[in-house]
Amino acid sequence: MFSIATYFSVEALLLLLVTVALYVCLPQKARRYVLLISSYVFFFSISGKLLVFLLFSTLSVHHIGLWLSDVQNECSIRTKGLEREERKALNAEYNKKQRKIMAFACILHIGLLLLLKYTPFFSQNINALFGLLGLQLRIPVPKFLIPIGISFYTLQAVAYLFDVYRKKIPADRNLLRLALFMSFFPQIMEGPICRYSDTAEALYEAPKMHYGNFVLGSQRMLFGLMKKLVIADRLNLLIQNVYGEPNKYDGFVIALGAVGYTFQLYADFSGTMDLVIGTAQMFGIKLPENFKRPFFSATISEFWKRWHITLGTWFKDYIFFPVSMSKPMKKLTTKARKKLGNRYGPLIAGSVSLFCVWFCNGLWHGAGWNYIFFGMYHFVLILSGNIIEPVVIKITQKLKINRSAFPYRCVQIVRTFILVCFGEMFFRQESLKQGFKMFGKIFTDFTFKTLKDGLLFEFGMDRQDYLIIIVSAVLLFIIGILQEKGIEIRASIAKRNIAVQFAVYYALILFIVVFGAYGAGYVPLDPIYAGF
Amino acid sequence: MDERLLEILEDINPEVDFESCTTLIDDHLLDSLSIISLVAEIEEEFDITIPTVEIIPENFNSAEKLWEMITRLSEED
Amino acid sequence: MIYIKRIFVFIMFILGLAGLLVGSSYIFLPKSNGLNSGMEEFKANGILGEKENSIDVLFLGDSEIYCSVIPLQIWQSSGYTSYVCGTSGQTLDYTEVMLKRTFEKQSPKIVVMETNAIYRKFTVKNVIFTKVSDYFSVFRYHNRWKTMSIDEINKPAEYTFTDESKGYRLKTGIKPAVKDNSYMSPTDKILPIEKINRQSVERIKKLCDENGAKLIFFSTPSTKNWNYMRHNGIEALAKELKCEYIDLNLLTKEVPVDWKNDTVDKGDHMNYFGAKKVTSYLSEYLENTGLLADKRNDSDYKTWNEAAEEFNKNCPNKI
Repeated sequence: MFSIATYFSVEALLLLLVTVALYVCLPQKARRYVLLISSYVFFFSISGKLLVFLLFSTLSVHHIGLWLSDVQNECSIRTKGLEREERKALNAEYNKKQRKIMAFACILHIGLLLLLKYTPFFSQNINALFGLLGLQLRIPVPKFLIPIGISFYTLQAVAYLFDVYRKKIPADRNLLRLALFMSFFPQIMEGPICRYSDTAEALYEAPKMHYGNFVLGSQRMLFGLMKKLVIADRLNLLIQNVYGEPNKYDGFVIALGAVGYTFQLYADFSGTMDLVIGTAQMFGIKLPENFKRPFFSATISEFWKRWHITLGTWFKDYIFFPVSMSKPMKKLTTKARKKLGNRYGPLIAGSVSLFCVWFCNGLWHGAGWNYIFFGMYHFVLILSGNIIEPVVIKITQKLKINRSAFPYRCVQIVRTFILVCFGEMFFRQESLKQGFKMFGKIFTDFTFKTLKDGLLFEFGMDRQDYLIIIVSAVLLFIIGILQEKGIEIRASIAKRNIAVQFAVYYALILFIVVFGAYGAGYVPLDPIYAGF
Repeated sequence: MDERLLEILEDINPEVDFESCTTLIDDHLLDSLSIISLVAEIEEEFDITIPTVEIIPENFNSAEKLWEMITRLSEED
Repeated sequence: MIYIKRIFVFIMFILGLAGLLVGSSYIFLPKSNGLNSGMEEFKANGILGEKENSIDVLFLGDSEIYCSVIPLQIWQSSGYTSYVCGTSGQTLDYTEVMLKRTFEKQSPKIVVMETNAIYRKFTVKNVIFTKVSDYFSVFRYHNRWKTMSIDEINKPAEYTFTDESKGYRLKTGIKPAVKDNSYMSPTDKILPIEKINRQSVERIKKLCDENGAKLIFFSTPSTKNWNYMRHNGIEALAKELKCEYIDLNLLTKEVPVDWKNDTVDKGDHMNYFGAKKVTSYLSEYLENTGLLADKRNDSDYKTWNEAAEEFNKNCPNKI
């Protein structure tokens, strides 16, 4: 009977309460087990028997880590006291062995992810290809049940192994610590994607719960709940209608849907992150941030340093640099630099790596051409941004425009926001063909007639709904500006006297209770990123 | 500190004061492409190989840290 | 000491929050039970506006019941007062809510429960939400902020609305069913009833017993929702709880549904013509129980005659 659909459910709240109660009452050594058991209960209540996949990954990561470590130890023992040449030869031999182990590990973990997530997509496309070639041959399209969070914990597992391989961290002999790192319940479903060096130790230590952390954590959870219930869920009907039957609407409504979806995605994902990071904070565990006011970004590449940050840095550390620093790429860079100069020289190797990153990024989100297109869209934007940057600098210098001035930055921010919205529109629209149609409509069929005839209030949101969305957006905007200025809002509230604190919390709770889009007439939004 | 290193850095981004800045990566003053350039230049100039393991913020956040890495790698090799 | 202080602060916080929720619940509670007052499911809740102890028979269930039972036809043929508390997609936790609300003001002798809702899945979460909303109605009526006016905040709640067709919803469209009577091909298999659903039905039965009402299970004809496995499941449940069970899907002689003309949406729901057949069977069934008295000539029930006349005007052909 105990099943959890999202973090925003009564069942999840109950589990959290029980976990907190046990965590507070039990001594330190038992607390880590409380966290682990809660994590497995959480996982099991969503994915049931598919828990074996997580257990399998945990065991295999543990084993392979130790295996790598054994090889490394053996190498360092055998190379001790050897001559330089001999040492080098032996090192190379052992490196080869390690690389083989890593290849095996990647095939195992990423292979499993690919198999579960992408086989249906690939087999469908192969069948389509057969059809095009006029062949009668068809391969079966399997449908797998996918364990929750596999896209997230697989990346954590691979990162751990690479870090051991690169000797950034020692392999962990303690299975419990690794298991906790892989499964910690607040983050298992939608990230943030953590590094072993960030969280494993803290989770294992299971620090004492502090009143201060408890308050700050609950504040953040409440704020996340607000984003999800008031904004993301309220926009749901509008988004479903616009993306469900885009042909019915004109360019204005579609543009509204594009902006609306971007805002919904932000409210949903960053709201969930507030809940996740807030929960972890209650236990005294600091998870990495996933968002830093992304809509204040001046460029697309800045946007990706502020939106889903942990995914971006994962791709940078484990795809971008390994590819661009590989031997052939380095050779290419050296050659290209001589011919094209320092500005465009590294761009060739850079763009190859960038392509790999964005192809993987698109595919990671799901098996679908829309996601691949989404990746390619951002690849092209970032690459062209890099190519034209010197030109832009020259032009602005000639026109005597101050690039760091406020108005210029505002223009950049608006431009970036628009580009992001287009990207998310393709991202949301499962059919790429429809996506292009919608894109075209924004430019060819743009009228304000739905505003005049009041039809705007007919497909999912009424006047009051729009009003609340706007009020919430302004609220987030103000909070965003304060945060950009480095003001720690939550901490400064917690410092005020108890009456002020109560007033703020009550106001926020009542705001959620009254203006949350739940109950009759509203369909809650499934957590978007849990599906990836 | 080595003059050659500072020259390389200034060549890549003339707007930054590399002698004092210690947040090159954290404040996004060196982007990924600059790092590719930087690594290629350093490898050529100092005749070393920088493995991927070394491409971490801690090594690239300041000119000083970079220099530490360079000296370490040239000794190891 | 610091712990005691913190616990005290925490308790104060919770108490204050509860107070706020009670206060806002008072503000958001609809001040009457009609649509314009913001009442949820106002057609079903029209029963709150009926005169005290005036309803003989209560019908509960989802859209199946409000499409197939016409209380004013029962009134015209037998003289019994009945009301359909059907809501679309009704889950058993809401069935319980409707039943409790009814028993507060009414004492029906017979409660007829449509069985499709017995199989509808619902979760602990639904139950908790329903329970919490019973105490803090702000959770149920918070969306009224969109329509509320300032001056109604302080008014006491007064239920005056009654539904003109006593909960029945008139559907006159015709879309023939794809399947005919073959949907009820016999089997020994039983479709099991979820534990949480079962417990809810048991509570409903208990509530009826306590209020002196006879509970009857009732399956209205539907090629889409009903089959023999479900029939077996409900039959077993009825036996266990010692309730009567009427399955019109099997009584094809008594209620000859014409699947070409009597359904509004390909066999899912009855239209008016199907509902007439279903209702006339029920009317007769109620007469045979001998529990109820004909009230057509009772001057206290004059409004029922008026309602029936009004209803007849809106129907495709008179009853």
